[in-house]
Amino acid sequence: MLELSPALAEYSDFFFEGFRNTLILAIGGLIGALVIGIIVASLRVWGGPVLSPVGTAYVEFFRNTPLIVQLSFCAVLFAPRNLNITADPIVVGILGLSIYTGSYVAEAIRSGILSVDPRQVEAARSLGLTQFATLRLVVLPQAIRTVIPPLGNITIALTKNTAIVGAIAANELLKVAGVIETRTASFDGYIAALIAFWCLTIPLAFVVSRIERRLKFAR
Amino acid sequence: MMVAEGGRPRLGRTAIGRLVVVVVVAALITAGAVSGALPARRWEPFFQASTWTFLGEGLLVTLVVGGIALVGSLAISVPLGMARLELRGVLGGLVTAWIELVRATPILAILVIVFLGLPRLGVRLEALQAAVIGLIIYNSAVLAEIVRAGIASIPRGEVEAARSLGLGYVSTMRFVVLPQALARMTPAIVSQLITLIKDTSLAFILGAQELVGYGRSFFNFYGNSMETYVVLAILFFLICYPLSRFSRRLEAHQPVAERVVVPGEADQLAAATP
Repeated sequence: MLELSPALAEYSDFFFEGFRNTLILAIGGLIGALVIGIIVASLRVWGGPVLSPVGTAYVEFFRNTPLIVQLSFCAVLFAPRNLNITADPIVVGILGLSIYTGSYVAEAIRSGILSVDPRQVEAARSLGLTQFATLRLVVLPQAIRTVIPPLGNITIALTKNTAIVGAIAANELLKVAGVIETRTASFDGYIAALIAFWCLTIPLAFVVSRIERRLKFAR
Repeated sequence: MMVAEGGRPRLGRTAIGRLVVVVVVAALITAGAVSGALPARRWEPFFQASTWTFLGEGLLVTLVVGGIALVGSLAISVPLGMARLELRGVLGGLVTAWIELVRATPILAILVIVFLGLPRLGVRLEALQAAVIGLIIYNSAVLAEIVRAGIASIPRGEVEAARSLGLGYVSTMRFVVLPQALARMTPAIVSQLITLIKDTSLAFILGAQELVGYGRSFFNFYGNSMETYVVLAILFFLICYPLSRFSRRLEAHQPVAERVVVPGEADQLAAATP
């Protein structure tokens, strides 16, 4: 591929740096989103009348506003003028992606927990299991099955959303392709970026649909 | 508000919840004002009428772009979805490949490639036009999958019955299959509309002036970028939240077997959870 395009050959290191950053954004964003999602879902399910509305408000607000607005807000917040932190745009990007994606993860986890029949919890409790043991041995093993397919779909969406982080000056694939285009007037960077994104999202989608089918039959 | 047995008014669960959220938001704003991160003077421009006529213009552009993109995507998605379902051979493979590749591409990449790529092919276009074309390309592919799933969910027997009564393929689709499929697809289409409206905000990256673009010009003048982003988020929320409520309500009335969900789209999944 590199022989076909002098522009890509010249900037191949730069391009692979972009690919690496896209991977870092996706993996970092997923970990952050899982942490936020678990906390927010716990708030919604077990938070009681005071904390569960906070969880609901989090989910509804961040799910219904554009990612680019949330990312730009984070970028401004960490700018020297406000918090006196000049943060790496990759770090800000991971934070923004985590906040946004966390609201979707929270919903997936919550619906997983709610998919377990409450009578099972009552039965386990009346057999003498503690609340924690009930959660660990009865609820979570079943909830996982409902949670995995939507989590996979959220991961695909997250991977695609990393392209937006380029707008706050992080050198991910799409941004790198743009820089190559300005410097060499060659469109090859964009073609390569497209193929690189497909190499991530298409296998992911394939794996997710396989898991989805298997879990459907398992029940 | 609920009245307890003793006759004393008692706050209901949702009322307490709303109160808690209001208190948290008020505490955050106070903390911001006290710590100096959000000084009150940077909020002052939002109390001027001129601000709202300016941002209102941007909002109008966003809504018009969203509306045109929705109508365009729907118009393309019906034949595209039917082609995906009915065509076999090379042509069918091409349609499937197109839909799958478009859906596997980040929407921003599509917008940028349309904006920078079409002029290379000799098509002159402005940023806003490129954004509309990009949004239509992406959303028509997603909606085509919704159309396909909707049509596929109609029992085969109904098509066979219609055909044996002498209706042609087009009439069968028009009078029997599509009206029912469309009803089943509505919640999924409304969910996709939320994604679409949120994605219109990406047009400013191409240099188009829509709501976020107007907001950026606004804070470049007043120097209140954080506050403006908060206001922009609230404006988007005011459009998208009612839509997501609407989509969930539509879906709540739908038997589970009739639900149409397209995998890979985050907002679709969000609507599918109770």
